[in-house]
Amino acid sequence: MNMTLNLSSGPHVRDRWTTRYIMHVVFLSLVPAAAVGVCVYGLKALWVILASVLTAVATEFVFDKLCHKPDTWKDGSALVTGLMLALTLSPDTPLYCPILGSVFAILVVKCAFGGLGKNFVNPALAARCFLLISFSGAMTRFTVDGVSAATPTAELLAGRAVNVTEMFLGTSNGIIGSSILALLIGGLFLWSMDIIHGQICFSVLIAFTLIMGIFGGQGFDPAFLAAHLCGGGVVLGAFFMATDYVTSPVSRLGQTVYGVLIGVLGALFRIYGSSADSFSYSIIIANLFVPLIDTYIISKPYAFRRSALAKLSGEPAKPFLQRIPKPVVALTLIALIAGVALSGVFSMTKDTIDEQKEKAAWAAYQEVVPGAVTFEAVPEAQEIKGQIYGNDFGRVTINEVVRGLDDSGNTAGYAIAVTSAEGYDGNIGLSVGLTSDGTINSISFTELHETPGKGSLAAEPLFKDQFNGRSAAFLKLLKDGGSSKDNEIDGISGATISSKAIVNAVNAALDFFHSMIKGA
Amino acid sequence: MRDTFRGGVHPNDQKRLAREVPLRSFDPKGEMVFPVAQHIGKPAKAIVKKGDAVQVGQIIAQADGFVSANIICSCSGTVKAVEKRRIISGAMAECIVVDNDGLFTPIEGLGQEEDASSLSNDEILNRIQAAGIVGLGGAGFPTHVKLKPRDPEAIRYVIANGAECEPYLTCNDQLMREEPKAIVDGIKLVLRLFPNARGYIGIEDNKPEAITAMKSACAGEDKIDVVVLRTKYPQGGEHNLITVIAGVDYPVAKLPADVGCIVDNVGTLYAIERAVAHNEPLFRHVLTVSGDAVKKPGNFIVRDGTSFEELVEACGGLKDNVDLKKALSGGPMMGFAVGSLKVNVQKTTNGITLLGSDPAEKAQAQMTACLHCGRCTTVCPAGLLPQLLAEAAEAKDYERYEKKLYGLECVACGSCTYICPAKRPLTQTFKQAKAEITAIKRAAVAQAGGK
Repeated sequence: MNMTLNLSSGPHVRDRWTTRYIMHVVFLSLVPAAAVGVCVYGLKALWVILASVLTAVATEFVFDKLCHKPDTWKDGSALVTGLMLALTLSPDTPLYCPILGSVFAILVVKCAFGGLGKNFVNPALAARCFLLISFSGAMTRFTVDGVSAATPTAELLAGRAVNVTEMFLGTSNGIIGSSILALLIGGLFLWSMDIIHGQICFSVLIAFTLIMGIFGGQGFDPAFLAAHLCGGGVVLGAFFMATDYVTSPVSRLGQTVYGVLIGVLGALFRIYGSSADSFSYSIIIANLFVPLIDTYIISKPYAFRRSALAKLSGEPAKPFLQRIPKPVVALTLIALIAGVALSGVFSMTKDTIDEQKEKAAWAAYQEVVPGAVTFEAVPEAQEIKGQIYGNDFGRVTINEVVRGLDDSGNTAGYAIAVTSAEGYDGNIGLSVGLTSDGTINSISFTELHETPGKGSLAAEPLFKDQFNGRSAAFLKLLKDGGSSKDNEIDGISGATISSKAIVNAVNAALDFFHSMIKGA
Repeated sequence: MRDTFRGGVHPNDQKRLAREVPLRSFDPKGEMVFPVAQHIGKPAKAIVKKGDAVQVGQIIAQADGFVSANIICSCSGTVKAVEKRRIISGAMAECIVVDNDGLFTPIEGLGQEEDASSLSNDEILNRIQAAGIVGLGGAGFPTHVKLKPRDPEAIRYVIANGAECEPYLTCNDQLMREEPKAIVDGIKLVLRLFPNARGYIGIEDNKPEAITAMKSACAGEDKIDVVVLRTKYPQGGEHNLITVIAGVDYPVAKLPADVGCIVDNVGTLYAIERAVAHNEPLFRHVLTVSGDAVKKPGNFIVRDGTSFEELVEACGGLKDNVDLKKALSGGPMMGFAVGSLKVNVQKTTNGITLLGSDPAEKAQAQMTACLHCGRCTTVCPAGLLPQLLAEAAEAKDYERYEKKLYGLECVACGSCTYICPAKRPLTQTFKQAKAEITAIKRAAVAQAGGK
């Protein structure tokens, strides 16, 4: 009889799920979103995905070999990190971004801290933030048919209307993993498999929606909330990033607190911040709170919980509502009242604010079209309003085109309000005043927050007044100054980006005027 | 009543291998080995010596104190030796070795029917004590001690544990099918000790025949109910059974009696009925031999002291094309791995599981770092946080382990190790931590006592 039987302490059987299995299922759940990305954006998205995934696995492989570690590259976690990173990138990202990002995610965030299970923030998200900081231009390049275009979230933040259906399906421009439908399929699948914890993803979504509704300024308007939920990686973050095992708390209560933290931060950043990438940051920040949450929120065994102890001692347990600490109740009430008051004040004053805005716009029109007493919208502009204008002016939108009438009802000139999204620090808005023959009266800025002492000099007469009296149909920017011709404009030294954005915006206005009003 | 306890796992139960095989009495031929410590408490004292003639039903080792139990001889023959032998736990322990003459000559009066209805409570308890009955669910706690709680009036629930949630094991299923009446009589005997209690028979819903049999056996008994439990490991754990039937969670520091419960395995209740009404002390009990390495898995009424080897032979031996990798005393979740089949059945041995492959060995090769996936937390029936416990135990931070994380509440059911996708040996770590903490505490007490 066999005398070399295995000895070990029980249990002697194991579930068939392994680390690899879980990682591969998570990978699989991300595939629908990746597939939609490739279908919508084409092969360029596939290259980004392949670059990211292959680099991630290769990096871990090299690390294992160099450091003589067991073959952890086979466990599938690098696959997941690579794909997750790719899904957060624009399909137009140059390939060095996913490659560098994956190396950063695996080498710096994961392996350097001890490998699987030891990273302190989500590797894919950390890599995305690393890339955003390092290559902000390349990382925020989104194009439609080769033309750069703002993402729906950016549009949303700029206060413009977006197509929620397109966002939901993922057919609008954005990151590769922007199909909410595909992400929901993958996320809910993981939830149904018990791989991700519902208390995290749903508390993220609920907290985000609540804060957005209370403080977003538009109340619980379903279209507004849906647009925000569908944009900016909220769903990707809630189901795939926030639920990362390593960087989320252990106890159910802790997980709920963590989810709420992400939702609240994400919504507040969205409302009060300026970046469309704020959700990534809110998850990273919440990741950093996890050790704290795990220290203070540790669930007790069932036998030591209040209800069990009450049963053992024979005293009835307090009803749930009475068990919530008073400060929590007070804070919640204050937050709710403040939120309701704020949204109330906003909706009450909304008309006044719009009036004020219109007045400000009229003041600008008046400044650039002297002699006009009233303004009427030019019908030709209706079609292109609020959209990226043409191919040659960057991300410029024409917001409004008005004809100025003098007191006898004759045309005194035209004012065109344009916005360039390519300022050094956000949008630049300006109005261009034109005479009926296309000569520029003057320009006036309605929105300008460029670097003080550099881009901000655009508002100074030295730069601004150069435009006055120009009759050319297209202006050329001379970076280094020395203009001599009618179509040449001197740039602001040290602020080429701002200068270029402004000249592009003026050119867009000129182009529109010459092709649609004067030429017509 | 709750539907089920929180947590738990669903291992492949493998019960199909032996579930339809009727119980068969097995009379061994070889020598019989009786360790003097087969129960929780003080080991019994051997009262026979080499050369003594013994008979079936004879007490060969006497309980040493109250928390101890008599050891009963299950064969007739001559005492060959009283010496150290390797027992199931792997330790060398004092055993009484009997040369079995194969005749199974009973001691006088063995099996004599008696009218139990005229017995007083004390007489019932004395008979149970004399019969050497211990908890047959696996723990081996002396039953007469369990049945003497401080306040018998406070006992509200007498729970017969027929859950049998261990994979492979089917002997209690068969016992409930074949001897439902005797089990119910056993419950009635125990109920007599506790005037305010009701009887509950908890059976997992994967044993419909046993449920039907027990239900018809207690038809007309207004104080006994069959409770159908959801099939889930460890439903048969004392804590989980009480959680479901009595609706309370209680810490390990408390006994079931502290929360008004007495839990006994159906096998134990059967033994009580045999001892009290048939004058048959505990020298045989039910046992399953199963596993993928054995030819004909089966259920037996087996005599204590029988060697594993003989029982495996009785099942047709090992499969020819299978190499035995691991042999377990008990089932694969809470059973002990034995180093060889040259060990002998004890009172608490409820199964022999023979495996041709060792999942634990495979798991060791698949082990990765902890993912913090939280599956262990989800399945822990006590509501512990195994991933944090493991970290604390590995760092030997026993203060945190015990005080902050309540590590000593772990009953080592093995659910966390079973479910862990990273294949971490969680339960094993906790068993070790518990042993070390106990040792530290003992040392502290000893030191304090010495001063």
